[in-house]
Amino acid sequence: MARFAMVTDLRKCVACHACTASCNAEWDVPPSYARTHVKTTPLAGTFPELTSSPYVAQCNHCDHPPCVPACPSGATYQDAGGVVRVDAGVCIGCGFCVDACPYEARYVSPRTKKVDKCDFCAPRIARGEQPACVATCPAGAKHFGDLEDRDGEVHRIVFHEGARRIESDAVAVGPNVYYLGRPEHLDLVAKSFPPHAPRYPVAREAWKRLVKPLVLGVVGLSLVGQAVAFFNQLHKGEGDFDE
Amino acid sequence: MSSATPLAHIPLTPAPLTVEQAEAMLQRQIKKHHVAIILVHWFNAIVWLIELSTGLALISSPDLRLAPDWYLGMFTATFGSRANLLQFHIALGITWMVALLPYGLFGFRTYLRGEMLNVTDKDDIRWLIVRTLRILGKSDEPLPPQGIYNAGQKAYSLVVWGMVPVIMATGVIMAFRLFSPAVVGWAVVFHFFAVGMVVGGLVVHVYMGAVFPEEKPAFFSMITGMVHELYAYNHHFKWWREMKLAELEWEKKREHARVPQESAEGPKEAGGAVEKSPG
Amino acid sequence: MTSRISRRGFLGTAATLGAGAAALPAMASPKVHPPGWSGTSRVDEVATTCEMCFWRCGILASVADGKVLRVRGNPEHPQNQGRLCARGNAGTGLLYDPDRLKTPLLRTGERGEGQFKAVSWDEALDFLAGKLVEIRKKHGAESVAFFPHGNGARFFATLMRAYGTPNSAEPSFAQCRGPREVGYSLTFGKGLGSPEPVDLEESKLVVLIGSHLGENVFTSQINAFATGLSAGAKLITVDPRFSMAASKSDWWLPIRPGTDIALLLAWMNVLIGEGLYDKEYVASYAHGFDKLAAHVKEFTPEWAEAITEIPAAKVRETARAMGESKPAVAIHPGRHVTWYGDDTQRARAMAILTALLGSWGRKGGLFLPTPIEKGSFDLPDFPESKRGRADGAGERFPFAIEELGVTNGLIDATLSEKPYPIKGWIVYGQNILESIPQPSRTIEAIKKLDLMVVVDVLPVDQIKYADLVLPEATYLERYDPPTIVESAKRPFIAVRQPACEPLYESKPGWWIARELAKRLDLGAFFPWESPAEHLEKILAPAGVNAKQLLSCGAVSFPGKPYLEDRAPENRTFDTASGKIELYSQELADKGADPMPRYTPPVEPPKGFVRLIYGRAPMHSFARTQNNATLSGLMPENEVWLHPMAAKAAGVGHGERVVLENGDGVKSDPVKVFVTEGIRNDCAYLVHGFGQKTKALRRASGKGASDNGLMSRVNVDPLTGGTGMRVNFVRPVKA
Repeated sequence: MARFAMVTDLRKCVACHACTASCNAEWDVPPSYARTHVKTTPLAGTFPELTSSPYVAQCNHCDHPPCVPACPSGATYQDAGGVVRVDAGVCIGCGFCVDACPYEARYVSPRTKKVDKCDFCAPRIARGEQPACVATCPAGAKHFGDLEDRDGEVHRIVFHEGARRIESDAVAVGPNVYYLGRPEHLDLVAKSFPPHAPRYPVAREAWKRLVKPLVLGVVGLSLVGQAVAFFNQLHKGEGDFDE
Repeated sequence: MSSATPLAHIPLTPAPLTVEQAEAMLQRQIKKHHVAIILVHWFNAIVWLIELSTGLALISSPDLRLAPDWYLGMFTATFGSRANLLQFHIALGITWMVALLPYGLFGFRTYLRGEMLNVTDKDDIRWLIVRTLRILGKSDEPLPPQGIYNAGQKAYSLVVWGMVPVIMATGVIMAFRLFSPAVVGWAVVFHFFAVGMVVGGLVVHVYMGAVFPEEKPAFFSMITGMVHELYAYNHHFKWWREMKLAELEWEKKREHARVPQESAEGPKEAGGAVEKSPG
Repeated sequence: MTSRISRRGFLGTAATLGAGAAALPAMASPKVHPPGWSGTSRVDEVATTCEMCFWRCGILASVADGKVLRVRGNPEHPQNQGRLCARGNAGTGLLYDPDRLKTPLLRTGERGEGQFKAVSWDEALDFLAGKLVEIRKKHGAESVAFFPHGNGARFFATLMRAYGTPNSAEPSFAQCRGPREVGYSLTFGKGLGSPEPVDLEESKLVVLIGSHLGENVFTSQINAFATGLSAGAKLITVDPRFSMAASKSDWWLPIRPGTDIALLLAWMNVLIGEGLYDKEYVASYAHGFDKLAAHVKEFTPEWAEAITEIPAAKVRETARAMGESKPAVAIHPGRHVTWYGDDTQRARAMAILTALLGSWGRKGGLFLPTPIEKGSFDLPDFPESKRGRADGAGERFPFAIEELGVTNGLIDATLSEKPYPIKGWIVYGQNILESIPQPSRTIEAIKKLDLMVVVDVLPVDQIKYADLVLPEATYLERYDPPTIVESAKRPFIAVRQPACEPLYESKPGWWIARELAKRLDLGAFFPWESPAEHLEKILAPAGVNAKQLLSCGAVSFPGKPYLEDRAPENRTFDTASGKIELYSQELADKGADPMPRYTPPVEPPKGFVRLIYGRAPMHSFARTQNNATLSGLMPENEVWLHPMAAKAAGVGHGERVVLENGDGVKSDPVKVFVTEGIRNDCAYLVHGFGQKTKALRRASGKGASDNGLMSRVNVDPLTGGTGMRVNFVRPVKA
């Protein structure tokens, strides 16, 4: 059992997009789409006392990922290492999971029409390699490892160096991408890019609140009706039919 | 030997029969279903059984699913993976579509006679009400006469004819992820809805066809294609009446051919119905 | 598993290549699974050198079935150790860019119409050789000018010298690093080279004068920068713009543009006045301290405040911080330094500051290069040029480095026909309409030519003006002379070798140069049969085995980066005094300021703001805007405007403006980025956008060109460097 996590050190990060480019190359992500998003916060403060911070967002492989239950077909699942993955063979491309993600980590590929997102480079970590973004980061700002490995770097950083999760009052799903940075920078990031409460498209809501009860009602009614009829039939006996 | 009914005339509405008449009718078989209908019916039944059960196994989201974990697990294990399960569901669905499309496109004129979908005449509506009350043990009133398919069957086929194109279209949209994810998202919902509506009717259809003793001949007719005349007389009187009138027509034509111009009245009775009050 | 075995032309002939490939055993599941890999065919990893910019990081190209599927950093390379920036990772986007030049093109219409027909290499090279012979006969060999850029140009450089012209100029001198090289060379006896030897990772305090590390990205430099910051280094950023580096700084000094020398002089004033400079170091190694001390006495922080708009207290504070952290203070020398025309003097000021802090050749400051011996071929003597250079290097620009040349000097000579007419240009590996300011002047000059040749990979804007276009193979398809980096703490030699066969009709530079040489009877200057042979010769003195190098990509040597690594008697400086020249007699002798002085820059007229420019981390110059991945990350540039400037122009964030400069030149419409992170007197653009040619489908028509707005330059009289931050623009709602 493992619990994979990532730490991005925003003190070192310069928002150079090497991680995005490496990820795009590694997983053949279509141009203009990305599994990881490099952003910079808006400026805070007044000239010349200005502040700003880079921020790298991606799938957080949350402790309680809202995307997993959102998926109707079970294409999205969480593996034994805590990595939230998408089985493309099961994905039907309905996009219900996309807005369910508080961190906007998912996208529907214009090529495959299926959902794609960061999976911590699952095939690479299975081969004992680091994720592509971690390996390529020029600033050495990313760390990756097993949170449950007490001797590991990530465990140390998260539990002893005060790495922070980006959560909000509305959304605390236990993201497993942590951030190091100056407190004022982390505050600014959390304020500028807060996770949003999971959102579901109207279609899904209609299914859940309208169609499913309706179908259950109709089928239930039929079943009940036939059960009563069957009971009567037994009660009456066969002989009463057809003189 | 004439195959004419022992009845001296053909009544407008069902009349009580003598024992001899009933016995004779019991022995006589009439063709109800063309072999194409039989094949399509069972093809549908089998495909539906499989697609419904695999489809249920494909919905895993906790707030949307209908089946428990062990059910999903069983199907996943059988097919090796959920991806295989989905592929199978899609492949069979498309096969079903391709097989039925000729039927739908070219056969509908033959098999989709207007009257078969019309459930609005007085007899049909009355039948629907009486049938329901009777089966629930709440009435003893006799059922109004019905055509080749009774109002219940017609109502169900309305549902099927309405929902199946939805199931097919939404299935294709999902299988090939057409248009946009938003469209695919709605397609899943409508697919589920349409299937649900059919299943609602299917429960009744299976009960009425396979469990309810009154309709036992109907079940066998879906295998042999034939029903005995008494069943037709009791359950599908209007159809029985049509058949009878057609028989008479045929008889007259045959008579006419054998006895050359003996009767001066011959032709004028062709196609006419002899209407006399019941004896 | 993967195989890092050399490939292709290295083994000499195609036949050998085939045999070599077949001799290697079939591979089991490889360690790397590049995208698009079939899962069954063999994956090779070819170790080579990136050229998405000119930092020369080591990369591994994953190749299967002759196709490069992925480029990643080479973990064994001493410079970047497996890390690689966004551009490097997008290398396959250049290799497989469908808009690439595919065949040699010969002009059919008028020059400037961009009408071409595809011709064979034979026809193209015959034409070129014929023209070169013609020009040499009519006007003399010096009449041909060469505009190179990049490692691959060296083969052409040999050819041009053999042909008989001394006129070769790289934009990296007069449009980029030139004044820096000269300024530091005058002070310390040698220039800085590339990569610049800044010991960021060991630094206690990093000072960036205009340098925007983090937006200007070089993999190993960012690594050293981040490592240093992480280890607790403090950071001072002097920049009119709140850059990424500024956001990490302990002090951001939003200096009034063009006044950096004033700040530097004031810092010297404080360091000397308060006795914070490295007294021992200066006493041991420097010459002219007393003169310097006297010189800077009047340049107080108060004096500087009035000029720079940086509070005097901050000037003192930052100077004292430097004094406290010395000698581990890294005054980053910058890279592109051609700003205002006084750039050599500004470089001198930075070099002097470095010396005062004792950080030249010291840990955490600037470290020293370690020489590596390289081999060379016995070539015939190059012909002597009787008429000498035409670009002014060594004359009009007394301190310009002749080996690097002055591009704008050549353009001047072409236009003026003085000292003699220039009738032919060969442009290699640069887009002169984007790299050299005053592009309309460049176009005027081209009109006077009998011959205009472009050797390039992409059909950039300039090919419209060419008579002949030769498609070179990309860095992933060709052999280039080995990369020899001495200015590193772990100096190394690295190889650039092909990962796959050249696509289309493209050819590597060595082939083009050699084939041309043969036609000009200059084959003797290319006395090697194959790149493998060329490589072996160069590596021999350093004792590096070519096969080994091809297999692992780079071989490093122990470095001697600090003065303390050398015996005291070897701590000398190649200057007239043999010491660090705080006071430069050389400059005085040529009538220039021996110690830097502040000269005020021209101010923008009312209603105008100064156009400043820089880099983005996902683009290199004007050469990556057509790359699928990189243009996806940044499809267009935006103009940074202060809220007041935006309001004055009546535009809001995200709306488009046309930038009109003081000479009436208008840019293409560009989106506005309203921010308090830039001074009210500036507008900022990322360089390389606003490309016009429709042949580059992704790049065409995106954003605005900064170079297009540079109708004015302030030429540095010492080096010929074209100061470009002297153009003023007015944003007009589009």
